[in-house]
Amino acid sequence: MTGILAQFDSQDGLLRALSRLRAQHMPAQTYTPVPLPDSTGGSPLPLIVLAAGVLGAAAGFGMQVYAVMVAYPQDIGGRPAFSWPSFVPIAFEVGALCAVLTAFFSFLLVNRLPKLYDPIDECLGMRQALRDGWIIAVRTEDSDLRERAREIFLELQARRIEDIPS
Amino acid sequence: MSAVIDKVADIALRHRSGRWWSAFAVAGALLLLLVGATGWLFYRGVGVWGIDWPVSWGFAIINYVWWIGIASGGTFISALFFLMETDWRTSVSRIAETMTVFAAACAGIFPILHLGRPWLFYWLFPARNTMTLWPQFRSPLLWDFFAVLAYVTASILFWYFGAIPDLAALRDRASSRRRQIAYGIFALGFRGSDTQWRHYRAVYGTFAAIMAPLVVSVHSIVGLDFAGASTVGWHSTEFPPFFVFGALLSGLAMVLLLLLPLRWMLKLDELITPRHFDVLSRLLLMSSLLVGYAYVMDVFSVYYSGDPAELAVFHTKLHGAYAPVYWATIVFNLLLPQLLWSARLRVNPFLIAIVSVGVIYGMWCERYSIVVLSLRRSDLVSAWGNYHGTLWDYALLFGSIGLFSVGLLLAVRYVPVVSMADVREASEAP
Repeated sequence: MTGILAQFDSQDGLLRALSRLRAQHMPAQTYTPVPLPDSTGGSPLPLIVLAAGVLGAAAGFGMQVYAVMVAYPQDIGGRPAFSWPSFVPIAFEVGALCAVLTAFFSFLLVNRLPKLYDPIDECLGMRQALRDGWIIAVRTEDSDLRERAREIFLELQARRIEDIPS
Repeated sequence: MSAVIDKVADIALRHRSGRWWSAFAVAGALLLLLVGATGWLFYRGVGVWGIDWPVSWGFAIINYVWWIGIASGGTFISALFFLMETDWRTSVSRIAETMTVFAAACAGIFPILHLGRPWLFYWLFPARNTMTLWPQFRSPLLWDFFAVLAYVTASILFWYFGAIPDLAALRDRASSRRRQIAYGIFALGFRGSDTQWRHYRAVYGTFAAIMAPLVVSVHSIVGLDFAGASTVGWHSTEFPPFFVFGALLSGLAMVLLLLLPLRWMLKLDELITPRHFDVLSRLLLMSSLLVGYAYVMDVFSVYYSGDPAELAVFHTKLHGAYAPVYWATIVFNLLLPQLLWSARLRVNPFLIAIVSVGVIYGMWCERYSIVVLSLRRSDLVSAWGNYHGTLWDYALLFGSIGLFSVGLLLAVRYVPVVSMADVREASEAP
């Protein structure tokens, strides 16, 4: 056994169990069809994406400056080589491209995805997690902690309680 | 609410509709036409088209601008109205985003077909080569390549990212092993844990914040493709916003046009209600007025400049050989949508269908008018010429509609047509 899982019928039931588990400092993990009310914010990803966008735009701008001023300079009727306004659109597009790629792949990275199999998938309750099951799991090898969690789940009348296999 | 969500999931998991198959048969036939016309084009070259001097931009560019404009609709709805936190977006955003992905794909193929030597298209990339040459970074045509590359990539990722929770829900609900594996792979292991949701919401909002300015930049740059040339009728600072307005108009028209048959084919009456048609029709009317403003400014700048070549081209638009194209633009893009001032007509499916087909056709005429009518009458009278599309031009146009429809039909068949996670979230909100 690597943990214990309980399914509740409503978000309120799950939140009650969650606060009880947290009060006892148990490592609780939720699986819910929608984000929980207190889980908004607190992600560093938007800042990382912004940084990637700015760096990408700077790199895109630098590439154009390098190409027309260093790598292949051409004198076109004495016009200035550093014609920066014409470099802005490509700099913006390269920045946007870097930002969206970073957004997608950094999401996978911080969540360690793709993770196609997890022992918790063996639990029947997980089949309902993204529909109307409100799942809370205590993942621990410690059998005392699991028993204490089971007592809380029984007391709060969880619809289903399952052991998570190893 | 679970019943509605289960119904959406079952469209993807169990849907067996004769209506879907008959639509797919027609779309598939058109796609074959595209494959055939492209094969013939690659074998014989661009000589099979109607293009020649002086009209060297023909259907390929018209179709490209037309499709990229249509594609904008989904991005405006799913990104801009997400940032504005509108509630009606929930049931239509997935369909609109799907439309964006496949319309952008149709747009993406035409510049490559137009190249003449399409196998050298990678020369647009700043790739290392033995001549140490670089692409022309000062040309709007190259900006356009970067813009479309960024836009197509971002649209596909935004659409896929938005669908991940729904794909995961289908993985959990699917009963056959094959579907569990297929949806499981595309869901990437999304399980709805609190850390996953926390990062998911943050990244989705970030995506929307990037997509909204990106779509405006793409259409501005498409406008600059024309404005950057010193061709009569194109060389105007008005073009970038003008193309954004036109894109919005055709994009909204295509969303409305798709909602009607999809609602009937997939029985989505509970989710797509008269309110959605009302809101989208109002937006269509507003964008029609914006386009009208651009048309008026176009006329004003011609007369204000007093340039003889500009005046001559404009007069051939008004009463020359191609005058019907110009007047079709005015009638279909400007006058026809005025019917939508009536609240009763805004929710009438028959009228919505007529207006949106009219606008989509009108926007194609607008691009025809911009591309062809300017090129055939340059300021040098000895370089005047003429243009008409050949059979193969039309085959590619209708073939691209087949590509669009096949992609859209497959997507609505296998991916939930409404974002189940968003519907659930809206119902849980206090």
